[in-house]
Amino acid sequence: MNDSELINQILSGNMNAFTFLVNRYQKLVVHITGRLIQRQDELEDVCQDVFLKVFQNLGKYRNECKLSTWIATIAYNTSINYLRKFKKGDEVNPDDSAVLRNLTEYKSNDFERTDLHRYIRDQIELLPVHYRTVLTLYYLEEFSYQEIEQITDMPEGTVKSYLFRAKALLKEKLKIVVDEDSLKLVKEISNEK
Amino acid sequence: MKNEELDHIIEKSFRTEPGFHLSTDFAQKVVFTVVRREQWKTDLREYLYLMGVLLSLLALVSGFFYFVDKDFVLKTFAFLTSNIVPVISVVFILNFIFFADKVLLRLLFSRWSKT
Repeated sequence: MNDSELINQILSGNMNAFTFLVNRYQKLVVHITGRLIQRQDELEDVCQDVFLKVFQNLGKYRNECKLSTWIATIAYNTSINYLRKFKKGDEVNPDDSAVLRNLTEYKSNDFERTDLHRYIRDQIELLPVHYRTVLTLYYLEEFSYQEIEQITDMPEGTVKSYLFRAKALLKEKLKIVVDEDSLKLVKEISNEK
Repeated sequence: MKNEELDHIIEKSFRTEPGFHLSTDFAQKVVFTVVRREQWKTDLREYLYLMGVLLSLLALVSGFFYFVDKDFVLKTFAFLTSNIVPVISVVFILNFIFFADKVLLRLLFSRWSKT
């Protein structure tokens, strides 16, 4: 069933179609919301809130953008509002010096006990919210720059800049932390998996 | 470590799913919540339908009696208009009880049960 058929079914009161929609897009919503709010205990409530808004506003959806982009926009706005309500303002407005402070808090010994991908994932979670958002939307959900602009209301240049800076920050950190021996260890672990 | 190698590892990590997850019955929970939240609209619609049916029946019976016994209908109408305040009060109370039973109480119980 394609998205427009699904919407028509839901608008005519078919709740099975809505269950189908939730199942289809819950991964997208949990990735965006999870990365932004970073609280597993609140995640389900926020995601539920996102889908309630989707249901209530489905009649206003016009085919100007993909349904996934529209749902991602709702997930993004709901998560940002949650952060504004329950977290400090500096979490919402990134500051590179704070980012560097966060990232350099990691000790190289930590790395040797775990694998590199997991280590980078942990580092991503330490980035400010806008960096995490664009990384998730671009790499994980594979939205285009234009779609990310629609979702987050950030200009395309800012999106590209955040992507570049996030990558550069992680790369710098990894250059310090990961030496040749550790890389060999990582490769061995990856191969074992 | 080579620059390209590092780029490759970082991009691969970016594409790795974060460790957040929802319960397996999440979709059912959402649908249940939506149905519960939207129930008041169905209840209100049902109430309005019933009111419509009731008023139509009343109009039909009055019309029927008007042809069968015109005096009786006129007397009844005169009685109602001369006691307009108590009549409106009774109709209002009965209507409110009906509305509370069909819509208001269900809505309140649903909101309370959420908290």
